Amino acid sequence: MALLDIKNLTLYLDGPGETIKALEKVTFTLQEGEIKALVGESGSGKTLVVKAIIGALPEHWRVKADRLTYKGQDLLKMNYEQRRQIMRREIAVVFQEPTSSLDPSVKLGEQIQESIPDEFVTKKWFWERNKQRKEIATGLLHKVGIREHDRWMNSYPYQLPADVSQKIMIAMALASEPRILIADDSTRGMESTTKTQVLKLLLKLNKTKNLSILFVSHDLLAITTIADTITVLYCGQTVESGKVKSLLKRPLHPYTKALLDSVPSFQSALKTKSPLTALSGTIPSLQHLPAGCRLGPRCPNARKKCVQVPIMRSIQGHNYSCHYPLHLPKAGKKDPTDDKFGEQDPIKFNLINPALEEDSADD
Amino acid sequence: MIKLFIRYINLMVITIFALVLLSFMLPFFFPGDLLTNISGITPQSLEQRQALEKAFALNESIFVQFQVYLSNFFAGDWGVSSVSQLNLYDEIAYAFPATLELMLYALFVATFVGIPVGFLSGLKHHNPADMGVVTFSIVGYSFPVFWLALVFITLFCLQLEWLPMSGRIDLLFEVKHITGFVFIDIILSDLNNTKEAIENAFRHAILPTLSISIVTTCLFIRFTRRSIMDVMQKGYIIAAKSRGFTQWQIFIKHSFKNALIPILPILALQISTLVTNAMIVETIFSWPGIGNWLIQAIYQQDYPAIRAGMLVVALFVLTLTITLEFITRAIDPTKDETARAAV
Repeated sequence: MALLDIKNLTLYLDGPGETIKALEKVTFTLQEGEIKALVGESGSGKTLVVKAIIGALPEHWRVKADRLTYKGQDLLKMNYEQRRQIMRREIAVVFQEPTSSLDPSVKLGEQIQESIPDEFVTKKWFWERNKQRKEIATGLLHKVGIREHDRWMNSYPYQLPADVSQKIMIAMALASEPRILIADDSTRGMESTTKTQVLKLLLKLNKTKNLSILFVSHDLLAITTIADTITVLYCGQTVESGKVKSLLKRPLHPYTKALLDSVPSFQSALKTKSPLTALSGTIPSLQHLPAGCRLGPRCPNARKKCVQVPIMRSIQGHNYSCHYPLHLPKAGKKDPTDDKFGEQDPIKFNLINPALEEDSADD
Repeated sequence: MIKLFIRYINLMVITIFALVLLSFMLPFFFPGDLLTNISGITPQSLEQRQALEKAFALNESIFVQFQVYLSNFFAGDWGVSSVSQLNLYDEIAYAFPATLELMLYALFVATFVGIPVGFLSGLKHHNPADMGVVTFSIVGYSFPVFWLALVFITLFCLQLEWLPMSGRIDLLFEVKHITGFVFIDIILSDLNNTKEAIENAFRHAILPTLSISIVTTCLFIRFTRRSIMDVMQKGYIIAAKSRGFTQWQIFIKHSFKNALIPILPILALQISTLVTNAMIVETIFSWPGIGNWLIQAIYQQDYPAIRAGMLVVALFVLTLTITLEFITRAIDPTKDETARAAV
């Protein structure tokens, strides 16, 4: 059974006069011991998904889902206390901005010690307990690669450099020995050495403790190094999900392809000073969401049918949600509902990534 | 910390100096005889005039005069009232504790009603109870203090006859003036009907306290509510929730302190408003405080008294404000000298 199972998670935001679906039918699962990456550009709703899982959304936002379960328990139907217990011990989150996620008026040592559950402190007397708490906290800091534990434990959050506070956030998340670690854009704005350290740390935790990680990011290079599976979000919709390898090799959704193409490192055949590919336009704002597939206006091979939300299809564990998937051109043509619109020359689109084709030829 | 302390002390000394200088200059601007304005005594003979001129060094340069004024001031020799010929220092020492007393009652009410109500309504914001609190606080804040006092008198003293109208305590009780604070004095006076005296004093204190504290309480509610609402949306509160802490734990450890730190200086500044309001309300309730005393002095054009009274009130407000500012600054850990420099 999947550890975290999300199906058709929709988030309604009641605005003046209309209801906006900030997330629409987001679907993915997180298996035991898996590192899952949630990818998408800024504004695609990654953080909203995280907040929906941990229940940190404002009260007037309505969350609906066919399934939002942790180990088979429905998170949405739980009362506050049950959910709090799960958050206390099972799920831990590392937030996007580490410095704002730490209380500015409390010393870090105290904050780390606070996140250690009482069950871990076995000693009887309070002085022994305090000492033990401190030892556990020190151990946690060592685990995430911080050596000067005394110095940082006695400082306030504003005195920290960004990378240390990120590591401390991870240490605090690990304090309760969770089953799932949700890392919300943990590597944003880090220099590559620090980023590698953090990624290595996450990978190590995954290997040694069988920790499942939901790695939320837009850093494709980082994702492809550590993740097993990927879910791509665009504008609140799940666009494609599957194993990293198959997704890299054969992206079925135009958005995934555009996303991969935008990273020069994935294109070994790229010549110096050749133009980089990118989708035209920007991600639409919540007030101006297009109907149907939200990529529609930016999609190079959008047709009339795209005003309907495509259903999620699956080919060997590789899910996609597109009427006209790439690499499977025939599936689109067979469809009898396809109309005259398609006869106009669809905009030329590079169907096959040459770099990946070369790779597969070598195989 | 010591540096900070020195900085605030420095600020205080300079401001006090400026205040004293201003009060020294006042008699020169008042109409009438300069000597009378300074000393409070109208000389009856030339010898007396000359003696007074010599005492205040009026024939010397202005700097010497100021020096004499300073030394007199710090020696507690503030002259005499031109009306009653009583020593001003004793007069003020008699009246000031009553004002302080009234202010403290109001501050007590405002702190222990305003801040908790503000927290509660901020935590449960946008429900009907919160809306009620907000409405009440806006209405309460908009009342002029003197009007509210008059309404209270009409309603509770004249119509309903529940509470006494003026003074601190009935004249029947022979309370000696020891500390100036009526409740302490009652206990120290060793009366045979202490219990009744305390009850009587309490009934006297209700209306003046209410009329001052309503405005301040409403202000405290509004500031606290706003602040806790801001704090509850901060990333660290969401992070604390995501760590599965209990609501109570989050409130005590994370929101309470962080909500109070930004508003404490603002609340502390309200104390000076409280003093002003106390002085207004004293006049209406014939509370024997410095406000009432000052108003009398102004009516009677008692210039030495006006000068001394103003100086004392100004010094009090100044000392209070700077001390509170120092305390709030000192307990705020985010304003440490050793901030990490970005390299």
